[in-house]
Amino acid sequence: MKKTMFSLFSSFILVTSLFAFGCGSAKSDVIKVGVAVPLTGASAEDGNAIKNGVKLAAKEINAKGGINNKKVELVIEDDKGDPSEAATVANKLAQDKDVLAIVGHFNSSCTLAAAPIYNQTGVVSVSPGSSAAAVSKAGPYTFRVITTDAVQGASLMNWAVKDLGYKNIAVLYENTDYGSGLADVITKSANELKVNIVAKEAYEVGSTDFSTALTKVANSKADVIIVGGLYNETALIAKQKKNFGLEKMQIMGVDAIYSDALLRLGGDAVNGIKMTGYFSEVSSDPVSKNFVSKFKEEYKKDPSTYAAYGYDAALIVFDSIKNAGTDRKAIRDFMAKIKNFKGVTGENSFDENGDVIKQPLRLIIQNGKFIVTDK
Amino acid sequence: MNRKIQQFVFANKKVVLPVTVLILLGLPFVVTNSYFLHICIMVCIYICLALSLNLVTGYAGQLVLGHAAFYGIGAYTGALLMLNMHINFLAALVISAFITGLFGFLLGMPALRLRGDYLAIVTLGFGEIVRLVFVNWKTLTRGPAGLPGIPSPQVFGFTISGRTEFYYLALILTIFTVFFMIKLINSGVGMAMQTVKNDEIAAEAIGIKPRKYKIMAFVISAAFAGMIGCFFASYISYISPTAFVYNTSMTILTMVVLGGLSSIMGSILGATLLIIVPEILRFLNDYRMLIFGALTVFMMIFKPEGFWGTGKRRRNIYKINSEVPSRESNS
Amino acid sequence: MFLQQMINGITVGGSYALIALGYTMVYGILKIVNFAHGDVFMMGSFFGLFCMQVWEMPYYMAFPMAAVATAIMGIVMERIAYRPIRTADSLTVMISALGVSTFLENLAMLLWGTGTHAFSNFSGITISTYKFDNIVLSNIQIGFIVLSLLLMIILYFIVNKTKIGVAMRATSHNIKTAKLMGINTDRIIAFTFGIGSALACVAGLLVGIYYDAVYPLIGYSYGLKAFAAAVLGGIGSIPGAMLGGFVMGIVETLGASYISNGYRDAFAFAILIIVLIFRPAGILGKKEIDKV
Repeated sequence: MKKTMFSLFSSFILVTSLFAFGCGSAKSDVIKVGVAVPLTGASAEDGNAIKNGVKLAAKEINAKGGINNKKVELVIEDDKGDPSEAATVANKLAQDKDVLAIVGHFNSSCTLAAAPIYNQTGVVSVSPGSSAAAVSKAGPYTFRVITTDAVQGASLMNWAVKDLGYKNIAVLYENTDYGSGLADVITKSANELKVNIVAKEAYEVGSTDFSTALTKVANSKADVIIVGGLYNETALIAKQKKNFGLEKMQIMGVDAIYSDALLRLGGDAVNGIKMTGYFSEVSSDPVSKNFVSKFKEEYKKDPSTYAAYGYDAALIVFDSIKNAGTDRKAIRDFMAKIKNFKGVTGENSFDENGDVIKQPLRLIIQNGKFIVTDK
Repeated sequence: MNRKIQQFVFANKKVVLPVTVLILLGLPFVVTNSYFLHICIMVCIYICLALSLNLVTGYAGQLVLGHAAFYGIGAYTGALLMLNMHINFLAALVISAFITGLFGFLLGMPALRLRGDYLAIVTLGFGEIVRLVFVNWKTLTRGPAGLPGIPSPQVFGFTISGRTEFYYLALILTIFTVFFMIKLINSGVGMAMQTVKNDEIAAEAIGIKPRKYKIMAFVISAAFAGMIGCFFASYISYISPTAFVYNTSMTILTMVVLGGLSSIMGSILGATLLIIVPEILRFLNDYRMLIFGALTVFMMIFKPEGFWGTGKRRRNIYKINSEVPSRESNS
Repeated sequence: MFLQQMINGITVGGSYALIALGYTMVYGILKIVNFAHGDVFMMGSFFGLFCMQVWEMPYYMAFPMAAVATAIMGIVMERIAYRPIRTADSLTVMISALGVSTFLENLAMLLWGTGTHAFSNFSGITISTYKFDNIVLSNIQIGFIVLSLLLMIILYFIVNKTKIGVAMRATSHNIKTAKLMGINTDRIIAFTFGIGSALACVAGLLVGIYYDAVYPLIGYSYGLKAFAAAVLGGIGSIPGAMLGGFVMGIVETLGASYISNGYRDAFAFAILIIVLIFRPAGILGKKEIDKV
């Protein structure tokens, strides 16, 4: 009898606590902004970078008194980089009426899974990391401060082919929506620019063994390796290539690889890597400088490009709330009209799909720093 | 504990059953919170998955470590049918179940020759291969980019939208699955499966063909997983290979084992617990999985038959199923 | 390119073989699949990194130190999570192993973060490459292959030519009889776990130094493939595990290089399934007799 009572009691507790967690309380003296990023799982490092960028922006604005005299409160949720989790998290945030907008998600697959929910409920999400093409069509409430793969990929190819003169391109890309999308853009671009793709190898995220792929590259006539992936694998490719006689092989990529971790992991081997990007930590631009120094002070490390995107996304959200008030639809309408909003990743304007329009910079790693280059 | 509850339920079947049904039906009216309803829908999906796995692993004794593959095949089949050929949801549901069942047959065939751990690793390999096909066969599945924009189900001209309506649809599918499983288990077919699991040679000796029933278990199990996969695709309206990874298979297996193998109620409870508890523990995010792992080990040491299991594991006088005789060979 | 890819395959196969040995030894004695073994490999790698990074040991000290630590961890793991359920059926044990696996992975994530860590700054090993014709060999690669083979030979020697090896083989044959013969089976089992874990640790360090990376979830992929390798070779058979490891590595590498890198893991499993269809007990496995 005792055991039955215990089990009934515990199931009662279980169900009521779910109720309690599900139902948000109505507090109107704060401005709630949701942050939906991967805090655990494969993309955790980037997710945490975004979170830190957003937190910094929130801290700064609260120090100035908040938005319209209300403090900003962040509701941070972990989508684990998994689309099903993203849907759950999206449900949780969207149905909390006090959450006025969401910064998220990071992975394109998560943004795509969450978008129908945000669009149905009518709350904006600003992605600081989803660059897949499909996100453009995700709905009127889905925005992003990162350009599509097409934009950065095309810009990268122009640089590689037209300015640097490479003719035989090896593409190593991760088997995810991101890597695969970028590889497609590069292939298409190569066809248009009449150069050859001499190797196109996919790898699983988390691979540490690139010997097979690098051996193939060494046996092809490639004069440049373009990486469609993130910093972990890029660093490993950079380090392992010399095992196959590729010490001098140039590596190029897009800003997804811009991060402290690339330097930490790659050491000397990553010096000389060229990439397109929107943020440089040694930029002389005052807004960037301020961001970099505040970030270093707060978190004791250099901000990665995703921290910068997170920061900008947060700034845009705060600005929209400031000007449009607390109605979710009004916030969306204001955001759609934003033009030339100065952030640390450039001047942001949204097009009719909620995609941001801006031109990338050219960056190179020298002596462990990401600097702007014109070569 | 389970005995008392079971006895209570059976004794008062006439009251408990309608009350439960009423609660399930009335849920969305009491709880309008769409997050909570979403969790309920996920619970329904996983109940179906756990039940289908339980059929092949718990009742037929075939350890399947790649069950998420069937879930995925159903989801992709349904999604592609609805997206590219504009097939109606109900038709897609049936076709997905059928095609996934076919894959169940494909996996079951070689599996017939293998025992225990070998079977497990083959099913695991199957799961991985299927996932890699989803990722790499870009012309069919769009690879890692996934399939966005899967249309909502249209049932007899009525489009399902909003959590509440999806909840009822999920509920219908789940209740169908539960009833089907109960009927199957208690029928001749179900009995035959369990006989085969307990002692294959004895079964054969009395005229039950093990091959036939093992294959049947694989096919039916796959079909149900495929069916609910199709629902999942339509519900989230976006699928990508990441939803059908090894981890998912393991989660479903854990649900079945924690709830108790060969126990329908156990699978239902296991699925419910394993979806709800992590949600409640969300605030312990960093430590969530750590606690989970330790909890699993704990459970296995102290209560391996699961919460609602048949309890045969400990007190097993005739040593049925506790120590497989064939392992102690060569002596 | 073929020769180079063969070398790549043998290298990676060596790591699978070392890990597979742990799986096969534990299975041979206890008839259970230690699903957490891949994570033992990972922890061993991290222990080594810790020794080199924090205590600044040179690699020839870090290797044995980490191996001992990992062996102890393996023994403790057996004591806590496996011994209490030794008589339960294999599914229970498997789930328990999965629980241990989850626990170890998340523990590593808590201790060292989810990101990847590099070895190069700490190992004190400088990589030099030698070119012959169109093959490039690095000194680490050579060290890798040599060390793997050496350890396997030593293990074979221990199991077949020493007294404790006899005890191990007796226990794996029939645990009850071994007990009756006066063998302290608990101790033998602990010893088996210890050796298996130490081997996995060495594999982890070799992999870590050669590819210059380690992260908490690395055990999943290696563990899975090493397990498949053990089954491929015939689980319970030590030469089988070694053979299976190398076959797995070679097939996977050749498939990835000549067909498609994206399907790399699929080749590993496909070869497993194909072999099992024709030889259900694995290449060197013993046929199990069903007693009625």
